[in-house]
Amino acid sequence: MFYQLIEQLRIDTLQQSLPLFGAELTLVVAIVLILLCRMLPVLEKVDSVWLGIVGVIAALIALRPFQPWSIGADGPVAIAMGQLQPTETFTGMLTHDGFAIAIKAILLFFLLLFFLLTKITKLSSRFDSADFVVLALGSILGMFVMSSANHMLMIFMGVEMASVPSYALVALQRRNKKGSEGALKYAVFGAGAAGVMLYGVSLLCGVLNSAHLPTMATRLSELFASEPSGSEVLVLALGGLMLGVGLSFKLSAFPFHFWCPDVFEGASAEVDAFLSIASKTAALALLVRVAVGFTTLPAEPAQVARATPPTIEQVAFVDAEAAPEKALQSSDPLAPARKFVVLLIGVVAVVTCTFGNLAAYAQTNVKRLLAYSTIAHAGYMMMAVPAAIAVAEVDKNSARQAIAYLALYAVIYLFMNLGAFAAIAFVREAVGSEEIKDYAGMLKRGPTLAICLTLILVSLIGLPPLAGFIGKFAIFAAIAQAWNLTSSPFLMFLLIAGGLNTAISLFYYLRIAKVMTIDSESDDTAPMQRPIGIIQNGYLVLVTAPLVLLLFNWDFLNAWLLEAVSHIIT
Amino acid sequence: MNFLTEPVGLSHFLAVGAFLFVTGVVCMATKRNTLGILMGVELVLNGANINFVAFASPYFREDNLGLEGNLLALFVIVLAAAEAAVALAIALNYYNNHSTIDVDKANELKG
Amino acid sequence: MLTPEDSLPFLLGLAVLLPLVSFFVIFLFGKWLEQLGAHIATGAIAAAAMCSLTAAAIWMAQHAPPATHHAHPAESHAVISQSSVHLTALHDGEHDHDHADGLVHGEHDEHADDAHFVPPVYTGHWYSLGRFYGSEVAINYYIDALTIVMFCVVTFIATCIHFYAGGYMHEELHEVTDHEVTLADGTHLKRPGRYHRFFQYLSLFCFSMLGLVIAGNIAMTFVFWELVGACSYFLIGFYVERQSASTAANKAFIVNRVGDFGMLIGLMAIWASLATFNFGDVDRNGDGKLDPHEHGLFSLLRPAGENGLHELRVPDGMVLQGAKERVEEMIVAAQPGTTTADLESQILAQVSLWRDGKAKGDATHYGYWLLVIAGVGIFCGCVGKSAQFPLHVWLPDAMEGPTPVSALVHSATMVAAGVFLVARFYPVFAPEVLLVIACAGCITLLIGGSIAIVATDIKRVLAYSTVSQLGYMMLALGVGGWAAGVMHLVTHAFFKSLLFMCSGSVIHAVHTNEMTEMGGLRKKMPYTAYTMLVGCLAIAGVGVPSALGIPFGFSGYYSKDLMLEQAYLFRSANPLWGSIFFYAATGGAAVTAFYMFRMWYLTFAGEPRDEHRYKHAHESPRVMYVPLVVLAVMAVAIAWPIFGNYGLTNVIEQGRPIGLWSDMASLDGGYVWLHESKSHADEIRTPVGLMAFGAAMTGIFLASAMYLWRVLDPTDARRTFAPVYKFLVHKWWFDEAYDVLFVRPAKVIAACCVWIDKQCIDRLLHGLAWSVRQIARCGEAWVDQGAIDGAINWFAAKTYSTGAALRGMQTGSLRQYVMFIVVGALAMFVLMSFWSYGFAR
Repeated sequence: MFYQLIEQLRIDTLQQSLPLFGAELTLVVAIVLILLCRMLPVLEKVDSVWLGIVGVIAALIALRPFQPWSIGADGPVAIAMGQLQPTETFTGMLTHDGFAIAIKAILLFFLLLFFLLTKITKLSSRFDSADFVVLALGSILGMFVMSSANHMLMIFMGVEMASVPSYALVALQRRNKKGSEGALKYAVFGAGAAGVMLYGVSLLCGVLNSAHLPTMATRLSELFASEPSGSEVLVLALGGLMLGVGLSFKLSAFPFHFWCPDVFEGASAEVDAFLSIASKTAALALLVRVAVGFTTLPAEPAQVARATPPTIEQVAFVDAEAAPEKALQSSDPLAPARKFVVLLIGVVAVVTCTFGNLAAYAQTNVKRLLAYSTIAHAGYMMMAVPAAIAVAEVDKNSARQAIAYLALYAVIYLFMNLGAFAAIAFVREAVGSEEIKDYAGMLKRGPTLAICLTLILVSLIGLPPLAGFIGKFAIFAAIAQAWNLTSSPFLMFLLIAGGLNTAISLFYYLRIAKVMTIDSESDDTAPMQRPIGIIQNGYLVLVTAPLVLLLFNWDFLNAWLLEAVSHIIT
Repeated sequence: MNFLTEPVGLSHFLAVGAFLFVTGVVCMATKRNTLGILMGVELVLNGANINFVAFASPYFREDNLGLEGNLLALFVIVLAAAEAAVALAIALNYYNNHSTIDVDKANELKG
Repeated sequence: MLTPEDSLPFLLGLAVLLPLVSFFVIFLFGKWLEQLGAHIATGAIAAAAMCSLTAAAIWMAQHAPPATHHAHPAESHAVISQSSVHLTALHDGEHDHDHADGLVHGEHDEHADDAHFVPPVYTGHWYSLGRFYGSEVAINYYIDALTIVMFCVVTFIATCIHFYAGGYMHEELHEVTDHEVTLADGTHLKRPGRYHRFFQYLSLFCFSMLGLVIAGNIAMTFVFWELVGACSYFLIGFYVERQSASTAANKAFIVNRVGDFGMLIGLMAIWASLATFNFGDVDRNGDGKLDPHEHGLFSLLRPAGENGLHELRVPDGMVLQGAKERVEEMIVAAQPGTTTADLESQILAQVSLWRDGKAKGDATHYGYWLLVIAGVGIFCGCVGKSAQFPLHVWLPDAMEGPTPVSALVHSATMVAAGVFLVARFYPVFAPEVLLVIACAGCITLLIGGSIAIVATDIKRVLAYSTVSQLGYMMLALGVGGWAAGVMHLVTHAFFKSLLFMCSGSVIHAVHTNEMTEMGGLRKKMPYTAYTMLVGCLAIAGVGVPSALGIPFGFSGYYSKDLMLEQAYLFRSANPLWGSIFFYAATGGAAVTAFYMFRMWYLTFAGEPRDEHRYKHAHESPRVMYVPLVVLAVMAVAIAWPIFGNYGLTNVIEQGRPIGLWSDMASLDGGYVWLHESKSHADEIRTPVGLMAFGAAMTGIFLASAMYLWRVLDPTDARRTFAPVYKFLVHKWWFDEAYDVLFVRPAKVIAACCVWIDKQCIDRLLHGLAWSVRQIARCGEAWVDQGAIDGAINWFAAKTYSTGAALRGMQTGSLRQYVMFIVVGALAMFVLMSFWSYGFAR
């Protein structure tokens, strides 16, 4: 029996899981190689950033974001994204599906651009570049785990694996007072949030008697179906909230955002880009996983549950088109959980968004301002989740579309924030300041940078004809569609709040643009120490170009993401 | 139902876990010393660990978390150690820059 | 590739585009190219000339020109005597041979082959500009012998002029001091040279003219027509700083607009009634067959007919347009229950009756006058462009441009465009229109010739000579001499460009236009003098008349004789008008010879009248006189009949449009146009040749007597004919008359408009604006500043203060942050519990 167990494990691990784990393995190999290089004096000269870039590219190749691997009858085969059935790997710890692959692809793509950026700003050579690269790669590894988590252990581990290296990343500027303070706050806040989250996880697992997400969902539906006691529901709600604390910390959602502005101000702009893009994307993916996992039944158990002979009522309703869904909905045990999740995430999203936009008003430091902008954008992106959950049982296609839109926003957000933080880094290199007032006269001092940054800011507002508009419009469209299908007033409230927030956000973004383009240099503006080089400008143009070009054709992106999420809500 | 007179069961473990959790949170929120705060974090994590172990025990409930709970607890211990290591290093770095580990002095970044 | 269907459009299209490319290159990079610009432009036009000549060679190889159509003397004689009989038959539209006598019959048989001759034409399609209800406006081409000839002439002469201009405009390479422009501070204007710009315009000019020639539809023609006008505007106003130059450019442009207005009317008439602009048939769908909507103007207007003669027939569209009221009557009177298809077929059945005026109780020839209007309208455009009376006034003023421009404008491009269009559009012109053309040409010829006698500015003499010669061409075309008119267009292009370039050479040498300050220059500049003499002899039409044996002479001799012969032939059928035309033309020939030789004598012969200028005079550089020699050779030999069938006459004859191989008569039969081939009869040739020779010799003799031998004193003559002289010197008071008739009234009306505008409309508007402003001011004070601004400012201030207050939450204290984790989680828990109290039922 023991032998059988081992044999099963061997088959599961070596023949099924590891081939699908190629990208992560590649990253691990890259990490190990970089660390090894440091040990051998001969290889010390090897630039770890380039090694990291090679590793990322190798991981991208192993990931195959357009034709991912799938385990067939005879080993792994590459199939089209839309045909990829979700596969549980490592005895149900992780799941291998299109959504995870899409998120991983976005993360790797970001990491590529991020390494290039650090190469340009020479950030990595200032401290030990190997440390820096290894920490970034390690953090990304954690994010991979987050995006494909299928088990409570993996959720917690993913969050920790992603967070702990990023604490160190923030602290890497060793002689920087602000940096060390930011890192301390980040580490302590993160640890606290992780603790609370873990406690919530323990409660959830205890009540549902499982840590495997689909099993938990099935148990939850059974629980709701069988008249749960008040205390059970209370514990579940508390556990869910505490789990939400951990996620909110990663998303920097109100009221767990406090670390964000301080850390962003303390860390270097490049690390800010990492935190605001990679971390947010992975956190959103995890949010989608958890929210969808707890509110919809997994495919097989649901079928088993429905295998009970249909009642007369159900048969009678078969003719009418909407009837079966209605019948399902009325007998849908997870409806309360869905309502809870929609309400919770929706409220948090609106409050986060509003708070971020309002607090950004009076900022004088660009990085701090962008930190609040990041908070606000996290709010916008979170709004897609309630839209998806609300219609998960009514119209699965709309729900999938909402999640695809969320991922689309994440892609556009990647370019916007990376561009913004890159511009900040370049200005820091040239002017040595990160105060908004020192951006005065930037149109004359560095025209390319000023124009690109202005475009990025306008895109962040979400004004056409830039890509930011697509993202925002897509999210609002998803909410509107959900409202159409459910006519729930709460979704309308979300929509209105989102629109108002966009209007509010206009001013503080445009303030930077105004300082750059209209205000002229004065005596107290920090002088230009060196001009902004052509590589820097080229990088900025490279990152800004998609924001302009995507409007012409973003369908391919949407189509890819739609295929990727085609099996997420079954 | 007298909580104290009952034989030791799941509820008692959960009570201890909750106590540890609350202690840890209070510790985190009140301690000025960074090390104290980190200790609070450990308390919180251990509170959760006690929950896991208790939920996993086959002696308390028919329908239990089983091995998963124990495994979770083990992993958490490891992760807590890693996190503590990094946090301590960061605290040390903070000390190098500020010559103190009083978190109330860390208020340069605000607004 | 060597089939004409493929190669001709390609070669000629290339020839059109090369100057355009050159234009763009110079336009974009002119400043850096400097002298290279001239080389590019010259190279482009020379390459275009090569293309054209190759095209001509291919054409000739494929289409052997017909032998000349010399009618037998007896027949021709008979025709003249019997013309009226024959023409009655023509007019009836039925060639009833029983009614005609035998001679006519024979003549008819003799020319039966010719009458059915369809000239070789290549039409095709390049680019579709737009479709309107199935009718298309496109860029397409129409290539026949006329196109080929025009291409060769235009590109060849333009090439010579480009070379010449390369030398003539040399001073524009550096900074130029314009001595004719005095600034306010008394100094002369200094400006950077505009060498490249000159060639840029020249290139565009050539492109426009070539495009006009190859155009396959009248709309495209109109576009290039206007382009030619615009280019002439640029070039005449090249010395834009000179008041006279800019005025002249404006004049040329505005006067041309008057003509173009008429042309637009003609275009509208054609488009509205026929729904096509194409000259020829273009097989658009490429199925090898011609659908009804693929027919061009020519085949619509001149269908093969029962006898295959391609006689002018008013097309159905025009008849229907003309008989609109009748059609409406029919529709109103239609029996109830008639289907639309029935009604349509009834109306169509009426069309041929309406056309011939045979409808019951209605002898109106519906649609015929629409055709006349279309023709006259198109001719109006030609009047403007070819400087015919009454729009000839712009041409002499156009002398303000640099001389190479004058040479180009007066020979191969601008003014030739009008004559070319008349020739191209010939099948569309009703006989009444031809009469109008002939009249206009006759008047122009007299006006131009008479003024040229007294002009003293060397270029003005030539300009009026051009006016007069254009009148000749129009007259010839108007009296039915299609080949004669085109022939003169070609020969005139050569010797007139030669004459202008010679005059330019003289001006280049002595820096004045006034002939009174020249004289005796032939010793100083022999090349110029003798090439110019060749030009004078050519334009005078000197040659041995056919009565004296072998007819032989300068090129002008052939074309002028052809025209006079046709006028004589016309006279034979229409005594009154014909006599006027013929004697005017013959007298004009004498006048031409007189003023040309007067000019030559004044310039080159006798003693120098201005010693200072004479001393500085010199022969022009080689780049200028070599083109003169080349053109002189062409002016002598271009029309020689020694090339057999491939001579100019025969090639032009080959281009004679469809349907012009038979006689024509006006609607009421009062005027008859006899076929041109009849004019080659010896009965006509001998007297006409002698008369033309006599006229030319008289002119030359008179000029020699007055200016060479000094037997007659010109001042005496001037005194004797003082009123006439005054009349001529003032150019018949045309400018003054136009000033009084049009310019001043226009200015008065404009002044009235200005007054109304300023006093009434402006005041009204100002008042309105003032009141609106007052209202707006009130609105601004109360609504905008008070309510809206207040609200916005309040909102902004609140937003900002909220933001600032929210900043206060971010105290920077870590302990508080951690506290918020707990407080936040608890607060959310409580909130959620209350909010969704019932979520757990």
